[in-house]
Amino acid sequence: MSADFPIPQAVVAPELAWVGLALLLPLVSAVLCTVCAIARLPGKLPAVFTVLALAASFVVVLRAYNAYSGPVQVPIFEWMSFAWGDGRFQQFTAPCALYIDSLTLFWMLFVTGLGTLIALYASEYMETEKGAGYARFFFGISIFLFAMSSLVMGDNLVMLYLGWEGVGLASYLLIGFDYQRPSAVAAAKKAFIMNRIGDLGLALGIFMLWANYGTLQYSQLFQAMNSGGQTVVDWDVSLIPFLLMLGAFGKSAQFPLFTWLPDAMEGPTPVSALIHAATMVTAGVFLIARMYPFFALHPEALATVAWIGGGTALLAATIGMAQYDIKRVFAYSTISQLGYMFLGLGVGTTYGACYHTFTHAFFKALLFLTAGAIMHGFAGQLDLRKLSGVRHIPGWRLVSWTMFIGCLWLAAFPYTAAFFSKDAILLKALTSTRWDFVFLGWLGLFTAALTAYYTFRVWFRVCCGPVHFEPAADGHHADASPDAHGHGNAHAAKAGHAADHGFHPHAPKWAISTVLALLAIGTVAAGFPAYNEAFAHGTNWAQKMIAGSSAAAGAQAVEHAAAPGAGANADHAALGTVLGMDAHTGLLVVGATASIGGILIAAYLHLLSRASADALRRALLANWFIRWLPICMERKWFVDEIYHGLFRLPLWLGSQVLHFGDKHFLDGVLVDGIARIPIAAGKLFRPLYGGALQGYAVSMVAGVALVLAWMTWVWLRGFE
Amino acid sequence: MSLIWTSILMPVIGAALVAVASVRLSKWISLLATLGSLAALTLFAFEFPAWNNGQYHPVEAGPAWLDAAGIRLSVGFDTVSLLLALLTAFLMPLCIIGSYTAVTERVKEYYGWFLLLGASIILAFAARDAILFYVGYEFTLVPMTILIAVYGGTERRVAAIKMFLYTFLGSMFMLAAIIYVAWEHRVSSGAWTFDIDALTATAVRLPASAQYWLFASLMIGFAVKVPLFPLHTWLPLAHDQAPTAGSVILASAMLKLGTYGNYRFALPMAPAGGAELMVVVAVLSIVAIIYASLICWVQTDAKKLIAYSSVAHLGLCMLGLFALNPVGAEGAVFYMVNHGLSTGALFLCIGMFYERYHTKDTDVLGGLAKKMPVWATFMVLFTLASIGLPGLNGFIGEFLCLGGTFIAEHDGQSGYPGVLGPRFAVIAGLGLILAAMYLLILLGKIVWGPLREPHHDAAHDHAAAQGTLPSDLSAREILVLTPLAVACIWLGVQPQPMLKAIEPCATRMLAKYPDEVRQLKEREAQMAADAADASNLAQLPQHGGVR
Repeated sequence: MSADFPIPQAVVAPELAWVGLALLLPLVSAVLCTVCAIARLPGKLPAVFTVLALAASFVVVLRAYNAYSGPVQVPIFEWMSFAWGDGRFQQFTAPCALYIDSLTLFWMLFVTGLGTLIALYASEYMETEKGAGYARFFFGISIFLFAMSSLVMGDNLVMLYLGWEGVGLASYLLIGFDYQRPSAVAAAKKAFIMNRIGDLGLALGIFMLWANYGTLQYSQLFQAMNSGGQTVVDWDVSLIPFLLMLGAFGKSAQFPLFTWLPDAMEGPTPVSALIHAATMVTAGVFLIARMYPFFALHPEALATVAWIGGGTALLAATIGMAQYDIKRVFAYSTISQLGYMFLGLGVGTTYGACYHTFTHAFFKALLFLTAGAIMHGFAGQLDLRKLSGVRHIPGWRLVSWTMFIGCLWLAAFPYTAAFFSKDAILLKALTSTRWDFVFLGWLGLFTAALTAYYTFRVWFRVCCGPVHFEPAADGHHADASPDAHGHGNAHAAKAGHAADHGFHPHAPKWAISTVLALLAIGTVAAGFPAYNEAFAHGTNWAQKMIAGSSAAAGAQAVEHAAAPGAGANADHAALGTVLGMDAHTGLLVVGATASIGGILIAAYLHLLSRASADALRRALLANWFIRWLPICMERKWFVDEIYHGLFRLPLWLGSQVLHFGDKHFLDGVLVDGIARIPIAAGKLFRPLYGGALQGYAVSMVAGVALVLAWMTWVWLRGFE
Repeated sequence: MSLIWTSILMPVIGAALVAVASVRLSKWISLLATLGSLAALTLFAFEFPAWNNGQYHPVEAGPAWLDAAGIRLSVGFDTVSLLLALLTAFLMPLCIIGSYTAVTERVKEYYGWFLLLGASIILAFAARDAILFYVGYEFTLVPMTILIAVYGGTERRVAAIKMFLYTFLGSMFMLAAIIYVAWEHRVSSGAWTFDIDALTATAVRLPASAQYWLFASLMIGFAVKVPLFPLHTWLPLAHDQAPTAGSVILASAMLKLGTYGNYRFALPMAPAGGAELMVVVAVLSIVAIIYASLICWVQTDAKKLIAYSSVAHLGLCMLGLFALNPVGAEGAVFYMVNHGLSTGALFLCIGMFYERYHTKDTDVLGGLAKKMPVWATFMVLFTLASIGLPGLNGFIGEFLCLGGTFIAEHDGQSGYPGVLGPRFAVIAGLGLILAAMYLLILLGKIVWGPLREPHHDAAHDHAAAQGTLPSDLSAREILVLTPLAVACIWLGVQPQPMLKAIEPCATRMLAKYPDEVRQLKEREAQMAADAADASNLAQLPQHGGVR
């Protein structure tokens, strides 16, 4: 396949070593943050270092983008390399080097760009934590950016693995930032451990690739693909994509490894925006896009990705519909949108998946940051039943309207960027020759309606309607200082209208406002590639970026296998029809209907007649035939409980048994029992040692005789 | 006198001086003695010419000790033993400094025995004569037993006796095996010698059945020391009862004698036996990984938890070694050093809060990050190194051990066929998940969460009144942990020189294995074919019925 659709070959370019600054700068800022913590430097110095370093690294990426002319491989230094022979399979090579193609740059642009903006936002958001905590927070952010850059820019899968676990570490440290709150500690732990399950899959996939292709460097892997894989271990080569997929599902929170992401919302909101919405969770998409040629070899692997993605999108959307915590709604929406990306990868449009990642990064970061601003201003309140009419409160207009933009984009309102990126995915699914992909396409459209509903449920509840708010009272977030200000606690018991009580929400200041405005602009601008294509019939920048990478070569191969003779520009080719219309028009109509329909239902239930929403819920719960549905949705389909019962509890009980057995059986009975044999034997011979001299003499003589007999025997045997 | 003997004898002389010096002076003498030992070894490492050829240096035979039996005082290092000796010498001064406030009674004896312990471990690594190795190997038990029995916890006597008897019994098998090989050497060449290279050359020529038993008895001796499941039960108790510095040396250096013994004796001496028995060892290793990890999960004693985690980690190390290919062997050797650094550091960290609170029970104590942020930072770092986070040292060894196991298959392309393969790697890999689980649970209890302190006991109040220990780490304690932290990060970022240096040793150790494993596979295939023939024959009468 590679012969028909060659993956562009990378050239070695040591002169581009300066691009490595994109990795080095966040590391430097992490060190500086540590120095700030050690020297107890006051003020916002850690934030200054971090923002400057990230901005500089964004500039480095921009320069690299300008200088880009084709895939390059940039060696930096030897990391883990050794050889025990000259053959391809007699070495292990994992240098610290960069592999830069357009996919790398595409990812790095939004990772470093958003990283800079969110770090700036956090400089204000975290200001109540000034001191060691402030430095610790920005240390985490810096380490995250370093690890993410290594994941994306690394030249081989071991560097990817370094970044993969490194972002997991940053995530662990930042979710558990407020380490005195047990729920935050538990969430951090859960995130790391669930990710580790996926990581094992990734590690095994890496070993598998190495065993079959003899290298772990992308450029050589892609080259080696031409000769095809060789089955040298007794596992089939077709397992490679399945193992890699497991890693991707862990990091990108897909079924069955998704339950850590909602809990990760325990972290400070900028962390949720940066790590758990915009960048880290897209690492799984990146991995599959990067290794797409290997997936393309195995259609059943791609079908699995599609099914998991489509299924997770629906599952998460149904849960998101029934949550009351704003951040958790957005967390489930993230899982759901990631599901779309995997659906896109599975049905064969890497462009759609990557472009959706791109647009999603902007609007979801924006949404989280607006939620953070609300949380910051309203003493940690995130319950959408306890907030209303925020847009009428002075100083909150910017937050409300930027949130509106974010919601429109998430709902894939017609002609927004997300509408185009989601369309690219659904179009591919609906026009597929496989019936199950078509089914998944329709499922995706249904999910889109649900998405529009729950998104605007949040916005109509929080930003519209009569003004009403209560500061968080339950201590869920409020006792945790970063999100709640001191005066929030003082009024925690009070609830009611702003005019009547002493609690005043305080509107965001310049850093948060600037970042929200910039992100809103970015969110809108993220649509330009698609607008340029749809309206000006120009080139689609995003598509161009993906087209030059390994992701596109794989996708073309899939296309070719499905419909031999189709051109290389597969993503452009309009195939088939949707509801009797030309596919593009049909999807526009159906997609717009789903989106607007969802918004209208939300408007009715949550703006015009809020009482009817409660009535609906009561009616559903009263009907014994249907009541399982709202219960399951509100209780997250009991996935956590099922995992607990299926895995954690039996393992824990087994561990207790082993612990007991180790102490009382293995050590107590076996080891001590054997140790008692000599003592028992001693008792047997005790009569000899009564104190009488002849007893000792007898045993001594017997002992000497035994030794002599043995020595003689050995001596005789030696001369045989 | 050579630098090697300097590094061995400096602590011995130090111990002698400690015996006559005052208590105050004894601390400084022991520190100087260990630093001198480290300096001598470092100088030796700088002029070490054999980094890239895997040979012994120096190769000259040492002076005769017992000429009649051919026992000589030959010392010399190859890369692997030099790294392990350096690790020991590196940890010794840190342990001495770390013990300054922990040990308050019988101080002189403590430092004296501790110095002898260090000297005997370095002697064991440096020995090029099997009996000299045995002396160092076995003598470690004496000071360690005394350190546990005198300076340990409430069950110290039981722990010390169990450790002594258990490991002593194990090494009897090893000694018997060594003497057997020496005897065979005497029979074939007519002269006694215990030179390890000469013995190895003799042993590999033995018939396969002899090698089988040779390997088995060497393995039993070293498996107790590693410790390999199910011979591990002395370790948690010993660790639990040992004083902090004793635990550090026990985990970091003494257990390495077991894995080093496999590398130096069991594997190269009896390749036929090793090939035959590697599946048994590998199975025991993965059982150890899973079994010990699960026990860690429900441990509430921080020190026992780390002790069991050592069992699991060294299980992975043994698995890498018995993958019988350069990748696994490199990983295993790297892992020995890593485990010494990160686990030693974890024991030091636990000792530091034990000194303050006199408890290691994670149900009583917790949330120390609030009170001891500096300590918490180190604790998190070393835990992450132990989990095997890439960028820190633990990852390199872990990844290579697992990778080596994974590719240990019937392929001829790496040049090293094996029989383990992906199935073993998957089960061992589950250990990575479990390691993250139990270590993060440990962190979640003692580092994170709301501050929980035990009720103040008299000792604590006493210490507080004296003001001997600040609530967070003192400068001295930071001085102890910082070199370890630097080493963990450095080896994670720049493992390349060490990997390059280990590589020739690994291939040298495995020299005989490709052929042995190939023959083994052929034999097995032949046996399977014979069995198939036999069953066909058994069915013949029914078919034909001619008779």
